[in-house]
Amino acid sequence: MAGSGNKGIKRFWKSARESSSFNIFIVVLALCLTASIFSKYFLDFYNIQSLVRDMAFLGLITLGQALLLMLGELDLSLGKISALCGVIGGIFMVHLDINPYVSILLTLASGFAFGLINGLLVTKLRLNSLVVTIGTAGVFGGFNLVLTHGQAITNIPKSIYFLGQGYLMNIPTPFIIMIVIAIIVIFFTKFTKSGRYIYAIGNSREASLILGIKVDRIRTLTFAFAGLLAAIAGLLMVARLGTSQPGIGESWPLNSIAGSVIGGVSLQGGVGGPLGALLGIVVILVIQNMIVLFGVSPYWQTVVSGIVVVGAIAFDSISTMISEYNVRKMTEGKTKVE
Amino acid sequence: MLAVEAKGISKSFPGCLALNNINMELERGKVHCIVGENGAGKSTLIKILTGVYHPSQGSIFILGQDASKEMKIFRKIGYVPQEIELFPSLTVAENLFLPFNSSIYKNRFVSRKVLEKQALPILEKYHIKAGPNDVVDEISISEQQLLQIAHAIADDNSEIILFDEPTTSLVSRDIMKLFEVIEELKKANKAVVFISHKLEEVFAVGDEITILRNGVQVGNALVKECSMDWVIEKMVGQEIDPAAKYRPVGVASSTILKVNNITGKGFRNISFELKEGEILGFAGLVGAGRSEIVQAIFGYKPFWSGSIELSDKKITSPNPATAIRNGVLYLPEARKQQGIFPNLSVLENISMILLEKLRNLFLVSSRKETALGAQVLKTYNIKAESLAQKIMFLSGGNQQKVIIGRAMSRIPRILIFDEPTKGIDIGAKAEIYRLMKEITEKEKISIILISSEIDELIKCSNRILVVYNGEKAGEFQMEATNRTDIIAAMIGSDQTIKEREI
Repeated sequence: MAGSGNKGIKRFWKSARESSSFNIFIVVLALCLTASIFSKYFLDFYNIQSLVRDMAFLGLITLGQALLLMLGELDLSLGKISALCGVIGGIFMVHLDINPYVSILLTLASGFAFGLINGLLVTKLRLNSLVVTIGTAGVFGGFNLVLTHGQAITNIPKSIYFLGQGYLMNIPTPFIIMIVIAIIVIFFTKFTKSGRYIYAIGNSREASLILGIKVDRIRTLTFAFAGLLAAIAGLLMVARLGTSQPGIGESWPLNSIAGSVIGGVSLQGGVGGPLGALLGIVVILVIQNMIVLFGVSPYWQTVVSGIVVVGAIAFDSISTMISEYNVRKMTEGKTKVE
Repeated sequence: MLAVEAKGISKSFPGCLALNNINMELERGKVHCIVGENGAGKSTLIKILTGVYHPSQGSIFILGQDASKEMKIFRKIGYVPQEIELFPSLTVAENLFLPFNSSIYKNRFVSRKVLEKQALPILEKYHIKAGPNDVVDEISISEQQLLQIAHAIADDNSEIILFDEPTTSLVSRDIMKLFEVIEELKKANKAVVFISHKLEEVFAVGDEITILRNGVQVGNALVKECSMDWVIEKMVGQEIDPAAKYRPVGVASSTILKVNNITGKGFRNISFELKEGEILGFAGLVGAGRSEIVQAIFGYKPFWSGSIELSDKKITSPNPATAIRNGVLYLPEARKQQGIFPNLSVLENISMILLEKLRNLFLVSSRKETALGAQVLKTYNIKAESLAQKIMFLSGGNQQKVIIGRAMSRIPRILIFDEPTKGIDIGAKAEIYRLMKEITEKEKISIILISSEIDELIKCSNRILVVYNGEKAGEFQMEATNRTDIIAAMIGSDQTIKEREI
């Protein structure tokens, strides 16, 4: 490129190119560009605002899910934990009439505890996290129904509405909360001992044990942390809706896994990071948004978004195959010249 | 007619030319050996000969037919892979005959009875004690390897049999059996390809030898017309003194580790002492319990009774974290599964052991981390593109050096090496021996060295402790012992053993 004499920009560009999230970032840009070309409503202020607000809830779940996937685990009960925590928060605030902020703290603690239960089942009983969390998802969802009989809890104190409905400089509060947590999580994985250990464990549990890493403690606490984030998402949803809805978060676990994989996190563990995972869910949300804006029939919406998710996951694999093929052609050409 | 003729085979992968203009002729009734260091192109050549890869250039004729036109002809080649590639939860007989061909089919169903009947004579021929209905997972590694060999040969259609490092998981008794099998194959006028790291084996069974280095054919000769030194020189590209010794000198008289009568899973009543600056070799057959003993000392596996003293301090309830804090580090045998973090960079692999020392406040400092990585890379002469390269793309020898460098950066007092040169080239091996000698002499670190290669133990150790069947079978001061005594102790025999040329 001409005129790129500036060393700083060059270095930044180089490190950005080498970053694992670069490809997915390009995909996100391309998607947004396509969306804005084909629909004049995409870049509309209110559309973007509602898009990033939606992203806040799924984003919080995805941050926890990505950490678990990096460990080689996953948690399908996170959506149910969100819903149950929303309901528990509602019960504290409305039925028990506890101070809203104390209620929030208690709810966060219970979210942490639910995650901890998952983690302890997985580590102490040496169970597979997929199966365990299918089970606990049933338990958490069941308690939710026991507590609410399927009815929403209304009359949530107005004093917490700003958490879900407020804005800071026109940016929805939930999004800001999510971004702050995301930055902490990204720094955590890159620059703290425990964050690095997550990668180590995801790569090889045995090698980690031999280096003296407390493998089970980190695995358990990551489940608990994911539970805590799910509780935050659930509470923000309550603040946004003004009621505790028992039915929220149904699609979150699977979308968070798909988004993480699109963003370069490996299901085997040890590869990828929270930044990529967040960009991955942007892909999913933008596509869902486009489907609505393009006026696809509601009956077809999930079909289309499902197809696009499969396509997005295949994209990375296909582009690797193409580049391998091209290099092969090139080197073969060279050997022939020799 | 030649069994296989490879003409001008080249194979390129993205970014590298793995094979460059290889020409080979395999004759019936002959054993053709392919030797070369790791990364020399042996595996690529095997994959081309078995039809897994297509050559970028050149052609292969199998029994006179052009293999690129007639893919089916690859079925004439039987292949014995290096690693165990059996189906662990299927039975011995099922593994032997997979993929079931018409002789096994009866009325479109696979019959257990037919399988059993056909398997028995084959199992007997290869001295496999397991029954046809035993599950493969439950038979010994050595028998699994024999089963794999039987599987490749059982198919009478195979005219060419390819052995890829077949002896890595065989005990010496079974290696003899394998050589008998190869002799029989020669008599049956089959062409045999034998790939091995161990030149002694090549010289024991081979007729012709092809030497690869960096994807290029650097030598081709009849085995009886060449010397082992010549082959090594061609393989490595430089002369290596096979008689060189790497025993540390100036071992201190002070004891650093004292193990009293420990018993655990797979070993009983083990006692020994380790001196400061000493290399103590652990000899024994595969499965004798050597790894289990050192893993118990390291705290990775439990022991039930007995005690361990580290510089006169009793170690209670050992676990890896406290062992590392006390300066005891374990470098495991299964490097790929237990040693490295394959998807992480060289730098992250190195710093993982020392993160708490690399922090400013509570964040890891990239500056300190990079400085450590650069220093390890330089000190241990590790060949990597950069610190950011994923460690899985390094050669086995360089991975091992990263692991050693990582351990050394913790300033250890005792290093436990479990098969440190397994799957490592001759050249890199010598470098690792030199490194072990250097760190024991300079830093006064003590080393426990487990190895299945007796010559390696003799070269490097001051003392050798022999383990047989979970018990200590002897302890030898190396200056005053010959290898026959060690081998006798290893196989648990007092009777005179005729040592064969291996």
